[in-house]
Amino acid sequence: MKPLLLWSDLLIYLLVFALCLFFLRLRRDPQTREHWRQVFSTRLGMVTMTLILVYVGVALLDSLHFRRALEPVAGSPADEVFYDNKVTSVLDVMLGGMGERFERTYSAPFALDSFEKQDMKDDNGHTYRDFPPLEHAGYHLSQPEQRWADVAAKSGVALLWGVGISLLVIGAQWLLLRRSPYPWSASWVTQAVVICLAVWLVSISRYYHVLGTDLGGADVAYQSIKGIRTGVLLGTLATLIMLPIAVTLGVMAGYFKGWVDDVVQYLYTTLSSIPGILLIAASVLLFQVYIDLNPDFFSVGLEKADARFLALCFILGVTSWSSLCRLIRAETLKISQLGYVQAAHAFGVSHQRILLRHILPNVTHIILITFVLDFSALVLAEAVLSYIGVGIDPNMASWGNMINGARSELSREPVVWWTLTGAFFFMFVLVLAANLFSDLVRDAFDPRSGTGRSVA
Amino acid sequence: MLAYIIRRLFYAIPILIGVNLLTFMLFFVVNSPDDMAVSQLGQKYVTPEAVQAWKRKNGYDLPLFYNAQEPGAAALTDTIFFTKSLKLFAFDFGRSESGRDITTDVSTRMWPSLAVALPTFVVGIWVNICVALMVVMFHATRLDRWAVFVFVGLMSISYLFYIIGGQYLVAKTWKLVPISGFNGEIQPWKFLLLPVLVGVIAGIGAGARWYRTLFLEESSQDYVRTARAKGASEIRILFRHILPNALIPILTGVVVVIPTLFMGGLLIESFFGIPGLGSYMLDAINAQDFAIVRAMVFIGSILYIVGLILTDISYTWADPRLRLD
Amino acid sequence: MNSTTPPVMQVSDLQVEVAETGEAILKGVSFELRAGEIFALVGESGSGKSVTSLAAMRLLPNALRITGGEVRVGSEDLFDLSEAAMQSVRGERVAMIFQNAMSALNPVQTAGEQVAETLRLHTRLSGEALRERVVQLFSEVGIQDAAARYAFYPHQLSGGQQQRVMIAMALACEPDILIADEPTTALDVTIQAQVLALIRGLTRSRQLAVLLITHDMGVVRNTADEVAVMYRGEIIERAPVDDFFRNPREAYSRRLIAALPDLRHFHDSPADEALLQLDDVKVHFPIRKGIFQRVVDYTRAVDGVSLKIGRGETYALVGESGSGKSTLGRAILNLEPVAAGQITFRGRAIQALNRRAMMPYRKQIQVVFQNPYSSMNPRLTIAQIISEGMDSLGMGLSVEQREARIAALLHRVQLGAGFSRRHPHELSGGQLQRVAIARALAVEPELIICDEPTSALDVSIRAEVLDLLQELQREFGVSYLFITHDLSIVPSLAHRVGVMQAGRLVEQGTAEQILTRPQHPYTQALLNSVPRVEPT
Repeated sequence: MKPLLLWSDLLIYLLVFALCLFFLRLRRDPQTREHWRQVFSTRLGMVTMTLILVYVGVALLDSLHFRRALEPVAGSPADEVFYDNKVTSVLDVMLGGMGERFERTYSAPFALDSFEKQDMKDDNGHTYRDFPPLEHAGYHLSQPEQRWADVAAKSGVALLWGVGISLLVIGAQWLLLRRSPYPWSASWVTQAVVICLAVWLVSISRYYHVLGTDLGGADVAYQSIKGIRTGVLLGTLATLIMLPIAVTLGVMAGYFKGWVDDVVQYLYTTLSSIPGILLIAASVLLFQVYIDLNPDFFSVGLEKADARFLALCFILGVTSWSSLCRLIRAETLKISQLGYVQAAHAFGVSHQRILLRHILPNVTHIILITFVLDFSALVLAEAVLSYIGVGIDPNMASWGNMINGARSELSREPVVWWTLTGAFFFMFVLVLAANLFSDLVRDAFDPRSGTGRSVA
Repeated sequence: MLAYIIRRLFYAIPILIGVNLLTFMLFFVVNSPDDMAVSQLGQKYVTPEAVQAWKRKNGYDLPLFYNAQEPGAAALTDTIFFTKSLKLFAFDFGRSESGRDITTDVSTRMWPSLAVALPTFVVGIWVNICVALMVVMFHATRLDRWAVFVFVGLMSISYLFYIIGGQYLVAKTWKLVPISGFNGEIQPWKFLLLPVLVGVIAGIGAGARWYRTLFLEESSQDYVRTARAKGASEIRILFRHILPNALIPILTGVVVVIPTLFMGGLLIESFFGIPGLGSYMLDAINAQDFAIVRAMVFIGSILYIVGLILTDISYTWADPRLRLD
Repeated sequence: MNSTTPPVMQVSDLQVEVAETGEAILKGVSFELRAGEIFALVGESGSGKSVTSLAAMRLLPNALRITGGEVRVGSEDLFDLSEAAMQSVRGERVAMIFQNAMSALNPVQTAGEQVAETLRLHTRLSGEALRERVVQLFSEVGIQDAAARYAFYPHQLSGGQQQRVMIAMALACEPDILIADEPTTALDVTIQAQVLALIRGLTRSRQLAVLLITHDMGVVRNTADEVAVMYRGEIIERAPVDDFFRNPREAYSRRLIAALPDLRHFHDSPADEALLQLDDVKVHFPIRKGIFQRVVDYTRAVDGVSLKIGRGETYALVGESGSGKSTLGRAILNLEPVAAGQITFRGRAIQALNRRAMMPYRKQIQVVFQNPYSSMNPRLTIAQIISEGMDSLGMGLSVEQREARIAALLHRVQLGAGFSRRHPHELSGGQLQRVAIARALAVEPELIICDEPTSALDVSIRAEVLDLLQELQREFGVSYLFITHDLSIVPSLAHRVGVMQAGRLVEQGTAEQILTRPQHPYTQALLNSVPRVEPT
């Protein structure tokens, strides 16, 4: 086994680390703590946060990559180890080889036979045309009719396991948190549901393709889960690249005014006047040309895909800072007029210190709200871009690629609906959770969206 | 007012120059014409001669900024920068890499785009405002909370699913309208109905939610209390006082979009086979036809700037407090 | 003062609570209004006086809930009416005027239209007749050129005119009862007097029953017939106005009355040595116009001001909003560029110094701002806020010395050292303003520019802060440039007074000269409009 560190893996771990630091720092301020308390004192806040953490957790597990050592081939020297060209992640291991059970092509969820007829030879050597049985589904059954009874029985066992594991996990938390004022029970219910689903999925998919298989015969449920890493990483990395640009320029423009302001305004007006999708498409295409012309830079296919992925994050980040920059500029203009900045001027406090101590901490709520909001927007954008063909590398699992691959199959009879369903479900849950969470964050942090409780 | 508009038009010049320089850098400096030729020709056919021939055919065989071999003014005009970038200012978009005249393509294709985008836009705003007003009337009730939840849910669905779902449900299972295509002669509304419907529904979540926030923000203002103290009914307050005031922020988001309606929608046009500018761009991206992309970037920027100016003008119309000078 | 006439509106045992927490806001408020009389409800912010009026009209925000009591108008209890019936009561029988007319008027509707709307809702008037009635109302409330003002939007009217439009709107349907919620608070004093006179006149001529809600004892003294003092959701004292001022029963009422100006005792000017001297100082803001945004003219915010402040002296700079007094303060602090003239501090011109050269003077000239809530960074602790100046001006203190100094300063402004670890939002307005004073004092300045430091505070707290400022002056010999719109706080505080109007000093002299023998007509107008209690 040989660990393989992709650039995006490294970045995501750095990012998570930085985010943890950022939140710990935010906790020091009592007002911010009060705002967070408001977010988490609602059940919705707890549920959505739990869901988001589950997604992030899956993405992190899927970011620990390694290459398996191959069985030594007879005849080669024993001390020389060859590594598999396929990159595996910790998540793949946890899913119990779900991604290694390929069929020939499409098959419906829980199907025993392939979706397409094929020429086969019977025992006597005659060629006939029928639906061939699947290699990895239902092979343990002696009679096809037993299928649903078998599914039910296996589901029952899996659920028992799920409930057991949930009890362990939640019990530990209960011991720690039973006196906490937050509605943890909402989070626990969510955790239990997620754990049961996961256990069920992993154990059933040993015997069936729960969400069927796609054109290439890959398990759709597996593809959907692998899409999580792409979605989560894109959402966070692109925002991370965008934040420093937007914050620096916005704060400078609002604080120094004059020609600095003119330049920054010119920059963001120019940038936002270019149709975003064209700019992104053009940049991605240009980068793709670069990758194609320099194939030697990347040792594994995944590294090439990873480079393109990072380039996409970078491009999305660089092209999307203008709206946040505008917000921060406006807020900084407002803050600069406030008494405490004026007082700081009267004390002769340096510009740098005023920016760091007075301005920046008071625009963090905007940064935070934007971070959460943009996250869901980026996950949605990924699908669209991949559909257009300027998104994620087709070799990398992503929801956009799944949709792109599946849309033409809707005209088939019967319809191939399961690929879309898989992508839809996993994407919808993430985006919905992020959107609902961002609503709560905004209600708590944005002074303007007060709850209307102005007592006369 | 006139002075203001003229000034804004002057401001547009540096922005367009910026856009132009940026695209030029992207297309010709970061990525040299040689790279483009190689990727267009495909790896197998790359020979120096083929690359040269491709460049000559598409007019990329010139120096970037300064042509030392040409005398006089031609030293500056016979360059890629001049022929490919500056000529955009004269609305001379040149030819696409497949040899078609871009200006003609654009002028014929913008009408189908508009035919889809304009009704989607108008009906969309109307529906969103109506839905939002309805929800605001039930503010702080269970209905309001559920409505917001539904809006967020609708927002969380990818646009792609709206299109796929709409196509599938309406056209296939109900067999009401053609699933895609565009034909100007036979009852064009039949082809437009589905894309417009899908566009409107896809926008409800985000739109209605935003308008609801705007209306609620207005309804906490002092003048609303004054209107109540006058004895005005809630409906009257909503339509006569809150709506006209909320129009001001609504205009910022909405008017800027109007000129860009010409550009059409990338996804909706490609899914429904509408021969507009949206699908034109998408085809260009897929064919890596940078000449078209460049032209469209330029057109898009101009339309955006026009949108900004229109926004400012519409402000003065909606808000008597503002005067432009 | 004929209390035998039957009441027009009778509020009895009105109770209101916060819907979510059940916290009581009003604890059984009762009073009655009679035709032709003004009943004043006085109290400080948070006492529940505005809630009383909104509850009576059933206009409370959703967060508050009426839990008991009744409001009788004629024979009906308003709390029994349907919402539709209530709508015909509002505006027709009971009308309201609100504070801050600018935001209380619909900004996108013309003034005339807004008055016409009330008439349309409750009468059958329409077309030309409606318009005529509105114009007639406008002239009745003293809006000049009434016919032309019909088509004006609120922002095109002055503050006084806006409030007059509000009054016209309220009177349009000839209601029996008028509820005026702080009708003059946002107005300049001269306008304030006019609007109050108008309300008083209309009360008599139309036999209105008026509920006047205010925090200003001067307004009560000059306008009301009967007064009730509200404190924490209850009426603690109620009496006819003359009795009340002659013989207040409650200690709290006495404190409110004591805050009114006393125009008999003045301070003498202590010194003649000039600490700060302004010579013909001008501050101009460019007005840009046209295609190229050329500077076509200047707003002359400060247009040639000369004055002198001595050591240990308080100079009160009085003027209405927009007179340029705050701009002048900022110019002295070198936060605003000076167009012409000279600012001399201890004999040295400081108006053109750059950031670095200004540093030594930053230690000597400090500032206290008007709004205590926005003048403290909400993210810092009180200790950090106070030590900011000490840090940046390099006082050269060790950590322990600094801590000790912060504790001493907090103690000096009558806050405990325990406040040092708190954050601004945990403090009240008065406490914050003390912190602001401590922050200024921390660098041992010789001059503090106080820009309306008490105008955001309640009356009773205002007096405490002013007393503190005076104590500190005696103790440290610091000079104040006291910028205010409120002449009434001047006598107890200032040695010298300058009156500013439209960027110019129209009159200056000792406090006694200005307040007893004003020469300039503007000063006289200002002084006449100051509400005062004649001693008995």
